[in-house]
Amino acid sequence: MPFKRTPQQFAASIKEVTIGTGDKAVTLGGENVFPLYSFDAPISNPPKVGVEFSDTGPDRSVPGIAAFYAGADSLGDVAKRACDMPGADFVSLVLESADPNGDDMPIEECVALCREVAEAVSLPLVIQGSKNVEKDAKLFEKVAEALQGKNVLLMSAREDNHKAIAVAAVMAYGQKIGAESSVDINLAKQLNVLVSQLGIGGENVVMNLGTAAAGYGFEYVASTMDRVRGAALAQNDNMLQMPAITPVAGDAWSVKESVAPEEDFPEWGPAEQRGVSMEISTAASVLAAGANAVILRHPDSVAAVSKLVSELM
Amino acid sequence: MKLLFNRVFDGADEMYAIAEKTLNETVAELGESAPINMPNTGYFLANHYSYLGKRVTTMGELKACFPEVKSWMRHEQRLGDAFKSGFGTVMAAEVIEACKYAKSSEPYGDEYHGHLSDAEVRELGVPLVTGDIPGFVVIIGPAPSDEEAVELIKGYQSRAIFVFLIGGIIDQAKRMNLSMGFPVRVVAVGPEIWCAAHIISFVNRAAMIFGAVQPGDHEAYDHYTFHRIRAFVNAFDPVADIVVACGGGAIAMGFPVITNDTKDMWPVPKSLIIQEDTKNFIETSLEARDIKIKVTKIDIPLAFSAAFEGEIVRRNDTWVDIDGSRMDCFEWVRTLEAHEVEDHSIELIGPDIDSVEPGSRMALSYVLEVAGKNMQSDFEPVIERKFHNFLNCVEGVMHTGQRDIIRMRVSKTAYEAGFRARHIGEVLYAKVKSDFESVVDKCQVKIYTVPEQLKALRAEATKAYDARDARLLSLTDESVGVFYNCILCQSFSPAHVCVVTPERLGLCGAVSWLDAKATNELDPNGPCQVVTKERVVDENIGIWEDVNEAVNQASHGSLQQVTLYSIMVDPMTSCGCFECICGIEPMTNGVVIVNREHAGMTPLGMTFSEMASMTGGGVQTPGFMGHGKQFISSKKFMKAEGGSARIVWMPAALKELVGAKLNKTASELYGVEDFVSKIADETVAEDVDGLAAFLSEHEHPVLNMEPLM
Repeated sequence: MPFKRTPQQFAASIKEVTIGTGDKAVTLGGENVFPLYSFDAPISNPPKVGVEFSDTGPDRSVPGIAAFYAGADSLGDVAKRACDMPGADFVSLVLESADPNGDDMPIEECVALCREVAEAVSLPLVIQGSKNVEKDAKLFEKVAEALQGKNVLLMSAREDNHKAIAVAAVMAYGQKIGAESSVDINLAKQLNVLVSQLGIGGENVVMNLGTAAAGYGFEYVASTMDRVRGAALAQNDNMLQMPAITPVAGDAWSVKESVAPEEDFPEWGPAEQRGVSMEISTAASVLAAGANAVILRHPDSVAAVSKLVSELM
Repeated sequence: MKLLFNRVFDGADEMYAIAEKTLNETVAELGESAPINMPNTGYFLANHYSYLGKRVTTMGELKACFPEVKSWMRHEQRLGDAFKSGFGTVMAAEVIEACKYAKSSEPYGDEYHGHLSDAEVRELGVPLVTGDIPGFVVIIGPAPSDEEAVELIKGYQSRAIFVFLIGGIIDQAKRMNLSMGFPVRVVAVGPEIWCAAHIISFVNRAAMIFGAVQPGDHEAYDHYTFHRIRAFVNAFDPVADIVVACGGGAIAMGFPVITNDTKDMWPVPKSLIIQEDTKNFIETSLEARDIKIKVTKIDIPLAFSAAFEGEIVRRNDTWVDIDGSRMDCFEWVRTLEAHEVEDHSIELIGPDIDSVEPGSRMALSYVLEVAGKNMQSDFEPVIERKFHNFLNCVEGVMHTGQRDIIRMRVSKTAYEAGFRARHIGEVLYAKVKSDFESVVDKCQVKIYTVPEQLKALRAEATKAYDARDARLLSLTDESVGVFYNCILCQSFSPAHVCVVTPERLGLCGAVSWLDAKATNELDPNGPCQVVTKERVVDENIGIWEDVNEAVNQASHGSLQQVTLYSIMVDPMTSCGCFECICGIEPMTNGVVIVNREHAGMTPLGMTFSEMASMTGGGVQTPGFMGHGKQFISSKKFMKAEGGSARIVWMPAALKELVGAKLNKTASELYGVEDFVSKIADETVAEDVDGLAAFLSEHEHPVLNMEPLM
């Protein structure tokens, strides 16, 4: 019996969200097929790859990263260098020092760093917060104000602070937000509903559905993302049709496989190579499950994942 | 007496005349080409821009708009005209202010704030939209005394309400050395009533920024301000016509005006309110604009944290033992009318806990009285049940029981730190106001410690408890209009949906129909959603088209249909948290129920864990079903297959727990007395043969029933 090809296209589609300005702006989402199913219908906006660095600079304990950023001392230089990483579509600053349980950097200083980075970059900017709900609420309001006109994506608005962040970032200062939930389709949807009830349209919201490194309970992530995409496309659930972004690097570079020194596990080979592998395999998995963008650290990972995407499209 | 309409119209004319004069003089002085640049705004003259859709940038353009402003002030005796005249008055006021700013970029210097910048609109707009600032007040005119002026302002400040001042009250605040300015949320806008144009300009810009309202779309502004901006006006006696005209505009925007002026004043419900006692301005205003104040901290001398929830206060460490098993101690939530409740009033009636010797017993009861537009008496027990959790979180306080069997111990350390009876009220007030904010608008606590009084009050409370129990008993699947679903467990069981009905609580045992109803009210986008039951397909086995649609949607398509009353046909799914599993026993045509705590074997040849592995995960396994313990005695328990008469085996402990209720159900349904004694347990049978022998020996009703399959 001959093979009969029936393209699986949906009447519904993922909403488009644009970050950044000018010709380097990137658009996430827009597809009406399952993730990476470009054989069913063209995917106008292929998944994007972002380069992450902390406000304390890139992680120079990893030789490949240290080599890439060699000579880039100020945060502005680092940001500029990150934009030149082959395969990078956007860059992402993590405001790690803002964490009240860590350095607790004052908001004004964080804002100054964001300004420095925003001035330096040529690619769209995604800013990740301190992971502290109260601090992020205040922090993002000020960052959003300081970076008016840059159309940055502020990650993340969570259930406990979404109002302050969404209203300030999107309505008052015209930025985009990442709605973050923790690996649960219903919580993701609830947050999107709450944000939309503030009067904020889907074209301003990207979902961060939560993640884990591959092998670390990743099946929860995969099934949640699968179901979110299923509901968005097959059931036309417009409260789940926002594009998804997944910060992969933080998890991938903190698991045992990435950090255990080679002396302790000689049979595992060089630590750096393992970290890159974790980053690539996690990124590839979330892209297959439905992410429209991933955020990575290592130049080799960025190159590999960007190549993967371009060859699949 | 002068009619309210006429006061508005006269006031509008008065404002117009002043505006006309100012406009003509300023044009004569500066010329028509002189620019009008309100400082730091991209919205021109925001009120003109909003209402007329016109971008006024020069004196000439301002003048050109002026006839249009006049056309808004029609004087017929119609409500619409009065409202529109109010907006016209606001624009006329803006003309006066714009002329000042045309002459100088800082016409008010440091004296008054005047125009608000776009940055200030955004800075204030964000917390207003998010509710961190619950609303703002515009206070007009001098208060009866300087002291009262400051008291009112501070009263609003302490409730996080943003305060705008216009007129004489500014001088009063200055005389009292009140600190003012944008950062302390008290802004002295200006000396004259036309300065109100700056506040409306703020409001209209907020509507454009946060509501994406388009310039010129007048109705959209009204709609936005009415629904999204929680503002109101306090106007002190005497209120002139020109102020009344501005008030007409405020009311049209949805901002109620509260005044103590009674001369020629016409109260309009929810809009124009006469409150002669200015001490009550705050309370009246907040109620009129439906503003609820968020409680952010609990005012007690001890730590409050979930970490203290399991803390035991031993007898030797106890300062006072409030012992409901020996004395009249009870806790009670009741609903009153809004005017009967004074928010945050905490009243101790009787001696405090410092009146007793250390370690002694004392009678103490507390009654929480609540009022709220969305409050229903069904929520009273839901709130009351949380008291246990709230009070246990206080360091050094232990609470057990509920209703009139409570027991509470306050430790010596807690007493020494200053904990007194009133603090019980503080804890309950703060927690109830924050956890139940969508239903509780106002809340007061009364604490009683006089034994004679307690006896009578307890009788009253008992009556309320009895009424609640009667209500619970009267709740049947037929008597309610809707069911609820619960998807709390989908995080780990993605395809599972519970349908919660009055006679079938969630399988975890923790979510009753009333709980689900309260959850839905408190968190409308949360895990419990309304499931209608209008399109019945088969009432006997429990099929509704609406229920199937709801299940399909909530399971994201994994589940197409469920029956509510059958274990054989599309039984309800289970997540994994079920208290009990019920499985059919084919030899006897009955069912075996085993609860989670029972570790032993069942006559099915499977333990609880083994049965659980085939019941959970959101899959439908006909013949197996997870459920809550209380469902066993429900008349809807596998009603399609004949009901609880099918139960042939349960662990002895479970029989003990549900026995009385189950016997009552069996008696009512089948006329069988002492039914539970006919059900086998692990002490008489752990296999089928022993089970069959026991059933025939005890003439179990299942022996006369139709085969299950």
